[in-house]
Amino acid sequence: MLKILSEEIKLVTKYIYDISGIYLDESKKYLLETRLNAIADEHGCVSYQDLYKKSKADATKAIERKIIDAISTNETLFFRDTGPFQLLQHKIFPELIDARASKASALKTNLKVWSAASSTGQELYSVAILLQELLGDLSKYSIKLLGTDISDAAIAQASSGKFNKFEIERGLSRDKLTKYFTPSGQTWKINDLTRSMVKFQKFNLMQPFTGLGKFDVVLCRNVAIYFTLEDRKKLFNKIADILEPDGYLLIGSTESLTGICPRFIPKRHLRSIFYQLH
Amino acid sequence: MNTMTILVADDDPVIRNLFERRLKNAGYEVTVAVDGTEAARLLDATIFDVVITDLVMPGQIGGIELLKIAKEKSVDIDVIVITAHSSVDTAVDAMKKGAVDYLEKPINFDELFLRLDKIAEVKAMLKNAGDLREAMNVTELSASQTIQDLEIVNGNQRNLLDRLDAILSDPRAAEHKRIEQALRLLATR
Repeated sequence: MLKILSEEIKLVTKYIYDISGIYLDESKKYLLETRLNAIADEHGCVSYQDLYKKSKADATKAIERKIIDAISTNETLFFRDTGPFQLLQHKIFPELIDARASKASALKTNLKVWSAASSTGQELYSVAILLQELLGDLSKYSIKLLGTDISDAAIAQASSGKFNKFEIERGLSRDKLTKYFTPSGQTWKINDLTRSMVKFQKFNLMQPFTGLGKFDVVLCRNVAIYFTLEDRKKLFNKIADILEPDGYLLIGSTESLTGICPRFIPKRHLRSIFYQLH
Repeated sequence: MNTMTILVADDDPVIRNLFERRLKNAGYEVTVAVDGTEAARLLDATIFDVVITDLVMPGQIGGIELLKIAKEKSVDIDVIVITAHSSVDTAVDAMKKGAVDYLEKPINFDELFLRLDKIAEVKAMLKNAGDLREAMNVTELSASQTIQDLEIVNGNQRNLLDRLDAILSDPRAAEHKRIEQALRLLATR
């Protein structure tokens, strides 16, 4: 494996920060090597500085995209931690539907959910499955489920709706698996109805949030941990801007907004925490 | 030390006995079945780490059917199929259906032992990954409870400070009244 030199670490981590907002400190040497080695190899680079130069010079940005894919790949599961999904099922969606349905002027009840770092889509598909289980007949609802991620590869896999047996076996019960997926060769494919409920697009959370619209629920779990404190502050401020006044924010179960965004108040339901605006 | 349990299904008594003897000598725990039907019955009653099956056997249950039964019983069971030299295509088909490997007749036992070592290695790694995941989940759960408790406590404190601030900076009340009210709020907390 191509070794990264100590003088290259700063250069490469700075570059990764610039293109993705992901902040890696110098202790992540091993991670840089294991994630970037194959790309350096593929492009015949003799060093990581060489890879940096080639990526910067590449007008098609193909190398840049590969680096983002490699660095941002993280584990994601269907119904990862049961807490947030129980919260959505028993508290957040019922309350939202009550609140939205009372506005008699609207023909359909609107529900807008954003999975801000959707990775390969498991979280958002889990929400789509949950809504089908909870609501039954979806024709009375106008549901917008948006998943965004910085990685092209993650968006492509999420959009395909296909998962291998390792990605699918953990977290999903057998009856949900057979109800919402069909086997397709060695993989499982999400059914058409569930696929049609969700939309995935590439998005960098460092960008302004203009054009995204407003959301009733924002899931931003286990992504801000890769950002600097300053960038976390900016991120949750922007989320506060695009959340409906009575909307809900869910973050990862080991994350905290203390000292990051005073516009959010933590609230507890059962054994989980959610955030609402002041 | 070979600790895996192996089920061998082959209708040829000579091959069956050879498997039994060689695998036992190598330290594996071996059970043999005379055909697919008996193998399926054994699979129903016991968990095996590895199933070695001939692809062509008389009766209702051939090698492919046995592979399916084993995989339905548990995805963790690794199935090696045995095939005649002339029917490698069938073996490849079996691998597409979930077999971990195939062996051609006549059986080269050195080759089989190498593959069994690899299977044992992968099984050990999967178990290790599972143990690590379990440990991570426990740590994450405990950390999340602590963090969430702190988050709520902090939210309450902030709320209290906001209320104190509102009381103390109320221009309509006299200073001593504000202080009195603030102290009362702190006392009733």
